[in-house]
Amino acid sequence: MAKTYDYLFKLLLIGDSGVGKTSILFRFSEDAFNISFISTIGIDFKIRTIDLDGKKVKLQIWDTAGQERFRTITTAYYRGSMGIMLVYDVTNEKSFENIKNWIRNIEENASADVEKMILGNKCDLDSKRQVSKERGEQLAVEYQIKFVETSAKDSLNVEYAFYTLARDIKAKMEKKQEASNPPGARGGTHQLKSNDQQRKPPSWLSRCSIL
Amino acid sequence: MAAQNKVESNSGDMPSTTDPAAEQKDRLIAAVKKEVKQLMEEAVTRKFVHEESGGVTALCGAVEACLGQGLRRRALGLFKTSSTTALLHKIAKNCPEAALVSARVLSAEGAPATRSASGVERRPSAPRPPLHKRGSGSLLGSQPPPTYRYLWIRIALFERQLAKIIEHLVNNATRYYERDALVADPDYGSILSSLLVGPCALEYSKAKAPACFWTDPPADELVQRHRMSAGTTTPPSVRRPILNFRRSLNASSDDNASVNAGSGNSTASSAKDYVESLHQNSRATLLYGKNNVRVQPKDVEEPMPGYLSLHQSAAGLVIKWTPNQLMNGYAESEGIDKSIYWAMSLQVCVWEVVYVHVHRSQASDALILVGQDGVQRPPIQFPKGGHLLSFLSNLETGLLPHGQLDPPLWSQRGTGKVFGRNKGRRRPMPSLCESGENDESEVDEVAGDYVFRIVNNAIADREAMRHSLLERVIQSPPRTPRRTLASTSTTSSDSSTMSVDCPPIIGNLTQTTITQVSLEQAASIELVCSTMRRQIISRAFYGWLAYCRHLSTVRTHLSGLVHPNIVPGENTNEGLTDAIWRSMMDEQGAIVDKDEVYRLVYYGGVQHDIRKEVWPFLLGYYEFNTTFQERQEQDCTYRRQYETTMSEWLCVEAIVRQRDREATAASIARLSQSSGKPKPEVEPCEVFEDDCSVISDNPPVVSPEPSENEQKRLEVKPVLSRAPSIDEVDNIELDEEKNENGVKINGETDTCEDITFDDDDDDEVCIKSVVENPDMRRESIAEIKRLAEGIVQKGDGRGLLCSVDSGNANLYGNDNKSIEEPAPNHAHSVIVTNPSVDLAVTGGSPASGGTTAPASPARSPLGVLREESHSAGASFDTLDPESRPDNRSNCVSPASSNGGVYSNELVENFALNLHRIEKDVQRCDRNYPFFTDENLDKLRNIMCTYVWEHLDMGYMQGMCDLAAPLLVIMRDEAVAHALFARLMCRAKDNFPSGQAMDAYFADMRSLIQILDCELYELMHAHGDYTHFYFCYRWFLLDFKRELLYQDVFSAWELIWVARYVASEHMVLFIALALLETYRDVILANSMDFTDIIKFFNEMAERHDASAVLSLARDLVLQVQTLIENK
Repeated sequence: MAKTYDYLFKLLLIGDSGVGKTSILFRFSEDAFNISFISTIGIDFKIRTIDLDGKKVKLQIWDTAGQERFRTITTAYYRGSMGIMLVYDVTNEKSFENIKNWIRNIEENASADVEKMILGNKCDLDSKRQVSKERGEQLAVEYQIKFVETSAKDSLNVEYAFYTLARDIKAKMEKKQEASNPPGARGGTHQLKSNDQQRKPPSWLSRCSIL
Repeated sequence: MAAQNKVESNSGDMPSTTDPAAEQKDRLIAAVKKEVKQLMEEAVTRKFVHEESGGVTALCGAVEACLGQGLRRRALGLFKTSSTTALLHKIAKNCPEAALVSARVLSAEGAPATRSASGVERRPSAPRPPLHKRGSGSLLGSQPPPTYRYLWIRIALFERQLAKIIEHLVNNATRYYERDALVADPDYGSILSSLLVGPCALEYSKAKAPACFWTDPPADELVQRHRMSAGTTTPPSVRRPILNFRRSLNASSDDNASVNAGSGNSTASSAKDYVESLHQNSRATLLYGKNNVRVQPKDVEEPMPGYLSLHQSAAGLVIKWTPNQLMNGYAESEGIDKSIYWAMSLQVCVWEVVYVHVHRSQASDALILVGQDGVQRPPIQFPKGGHLLSFLSNLETGLLPHGQLDPPLWSQRGTGKVFGRNKGRRRPMPSLCESGENDESEVDEVAGDYVFRIVNNAIADREAMRHSLLERVIQSPPRTPRRTLASTSTTSSDSSTMSVDCPPIIGNLTQTTITQVSLEQAASIELVCSTMRRQIISRAFYGWLAYCRHLSTVRTHLSGLVHPNIVPGENTNEGLTDAIWRSMMDEQGAIVDKDEVYRLVYYGGVQHDIRKEVWPFLLGYYEFNTTFQERQEQDCTYRRQYETTMSEWLCVEAIVRQRDREATAASIARLSQSSGKPKPEVEPCEVFEDDCSVISDNPPVVSPEPSENEQKRLEVKPVLSRAPSIDEVDNIELDEEKNENGVKINGETDTCEDITFDDDDDDEVCIKSVVENPDMRRESIAEIKRLAEGIVQKGDGRGLLCSVDSGNANLYGNDNKSIEEPAPNHAHSVIVTNPSVDLAVTGGSPASGGTTAPASPARSPLGVLREESHSAGASFDTLDPESRPDNRSNCVSPASSNGGVYSNELVENFALNLHRIEKDVQRCDRNYPFFTDENLDKLRNIMCTYVWEHLDMGYMQGMCDLAAPLLVIMRDEAVAHALFARLMCRAKDNFPSGQAMDAYFADMRSLIQILDCELYELMHAHGDYTHFYFCYRWFLLDFKRELLYQDVFSAWELIWVARYVASEHMVLFIALALLETYRDVILANSMDFTDIIKFFNEMAERHDASAVLSLARDLVLQVQTLIENK
């Protein structure tokens, strides 16, 4: 049997508690929605393998606890992740304002070239909306991060978001490989190193060699 | 495929020479057979076949070739086409199945664009990545252009009609086919159609996302597979390190197996998994497989055919034999009890086998495995024709590099096999007989018996190393010396990693050593050997020394984890039952022997009915030596305290609410402004309602009240007889109402500060009166609320004051009535309704009657809206009908019993906590029936009260989980709060602010190292295990999320009492027990850190709790014994 995937991307979902991180993840991994999700304690992850330009990309998506109290644990996961979804709740102004804090958190803890994306979740609840789409876009422009409004409940843009993030990571990775391979030597070692870092998870290597 | 196509094109002008024709038919049918087999295997390993799988195309090609052969094209007018599609359309008239497929084909051909549509159809909202070729859509839409070949066969296959159509063709072969065509052949024709029955029964993926191609097996599957394989295999005891406990999973698997046998579904699915495990998969390499190998199990008269397979897994070689009856994993509901077949199936770990006996006779080749214990396995009878030999040679290959067959199957000299054609020699041990490789012509082979010994260097070495300490010694030195050890084969490598990573190295080294040896002279060999020996011994010694030191450190460390004295568990089977409990109390209700209580609970748990009574003792809320009366008084006092505290935070809450509304209103206003939409609500009344639903999820519920209020306002009473509800507050902020407000509030609106003082006095009086008069207790909360109630807030969120007439305290009943008909004499008071604390509700006081009525209309919309509620106000509205209006009407007097105005900081701090609490309470265990809105509200109150008392700590996610089971058992809010506070004394350290978690992780590490070094090695190898995050949630919530509620109760009791009986850190041992329960699954799959997280998260609430808990107790005992033996 061939190896099960070509790439493994570790993604991370962060954002205030109750913005719907688990629901987004559940929508993406199981294509379902459950209204009675209990708050996430500690950390969990789900896996979905997608096909990206003919490559099998295994997404290992980590779901974190939202309360900042738990950041000591969650930040441990920032380092290994290659893409981060910043989630806020369009019906909750505060969660939107906190996106800035989360971004700062990323800057402090994640690797510098991590791909990011902002999701304004619960956009189906238009009657309760407190944060306009424009504000979301504005923030995204300000930080130069891609942005999309999603609804885990109505399955709106969730797939799109993950595919986009995954594609960006893949593009970045391939670009790096190209950059590091032909010239080699000086710049190459550095590039390679960061590449290794991205591929670090031991499971990745072992899986591949086993299969 | 190319070959088949050629065949097909030839087939038209096929001459009727018999021999080549028959040969060709053979070839054609063999091709179909092969493809069917492959497809079926694919199906079984993946549980489904993708429509675009290469296997499908290949099969279709093979079928097409068969159908094309000997077709009477000319007679049927089909000569223009080379494909058989026309044939299909032709027979459609006579064959309904063909008609159906024919129609499908036509529509598919007519709509080639369906492919792209299919993808969109499946995930309407998801823009598809451009090259997402794997996407599968609905049946019809799944015809991608590149695979337009064999379209009709493909569709017929997916529609499961192919076999029937072929059958039709075969039955009517004379009409369509030449006489010598394959289809017309009496044998081949029916073979062809029956071959295709299998593929037609398969599931072809359509709805599945492409991801399912490559998903990892879920935890369930892993466990199930393990149960299957663990049924008969017990790894050799030598490999088990000391202090290894019984394999609990196996123990429970027996029960499960018997249960499963009864219920069809689970058996079927597990059977499917098992069948899947027989095939090539990521965990085990399939070295050999042969069907129709006969074995005669015990209690069966005749040998039964089955599937024999040889697997190479991380743990070593495994021979499996499965009766044919079980191989059909898909026949799910046959109603046959398959359990007997499961019992018959064989699983033999090759390392357990010492001898392989081979008996060859004219009739069959039989192979008997003899285990270490001398027990013979039932003979495995191979069909004639070299199968036995190929099995043996596969076995031999599989044994390499660290094992071998003795004597080798292949001669050292490389000239031939041990037995191939054996010339009549009957020898117990075959020598290296020279014979040709001619094993095809075995028909004339003469019978013979042979014995092979399976030599496992590793095991042999380990035998010598039985002593566990010594075994560890070897683990400690670094790898390089270990290799040296192995190569001498006098001593050995360690046990656990042996089969995983060392063998290849050892193998190579052995070889190199051998070559060296052969090259060098005897003297130098001796020298080398003695040097090695010395080295080994010295290394061993230092390793051992280091290990002992380490062990002693660890032991010292661990000794703090358990109590030194072992409390025996006799007569504790039933735990603490009602009868025992009663008998332990004296007539006053005091309990004399509390240790006995602890002991009983530790070993047997508490009977569910008396948990409510016992838990307060276990958590130390009641003292054991108190009397009934004392406890009752304690309750009363506590309740009073609780209510007082509640009143305090309720005041602040009202302020918070007020602020929220403003903030929300502001942001909504901004939103509507920015979006250019005119705010829909213009008229005050509408605004009111709209705001509620928009802002706070307050359902329109409130509508009866405003009118009521409005009315009152018109009367310009100096008092709000119905306190401004939060909704009202909302309302009031709106400019239109500001003036009116002022009027209403009269003179009291002046300055906050002044009034605060006044009010403060009132409060004190009030509360005092409550305390003094026990009869009043019931109403105390209500009274407090009244105090808190108040005055409409000003826009700045500061509460205004409504002074409360202390005299009103006595006039409760009337107060309530004031809701409907505001009495002028309650000049300052506001509504009194029931507190959310349930005691007031039950009182049957006029209060309940009075308040229910206005509240009831509010009820129904609530439930609906609640689900989506997000804002802080949400759970406020979800109070039970009695308490809701009360809570709602809570406005705040900035001065409450603790006096003074709340600082902005305090309010903000509490607001933050409040929002978090409400967010979490709302989603706490909603699928557990107990948590109705009413009970969730109790939970909220408990949380808020606790957090209010511990504002510096604040609310932390997970607290809800800890309080919920307490509330479920205690039902009473105040007592549950008391217990929760007790619980938190210990649990608070587990939260991120405390230090306990790191200590737990460290302790876990030590425990695993001491108790299960095999697992420890694995974890160590993966490195990541320095942080045991997979058990983070276990420790944080005392396994609350890992177990079902009834099991949580038992686990918690165990944890609480263990500190008095055996260990203060029972959680550690429960965690260890959980880990140990699945150790074999973890080891077998060589899980890393992420795998384990995923595994345990998926296994949540599926554990066999009683087994886990009892294992935990065993583990405590083990550590106790270990330390005792020091």
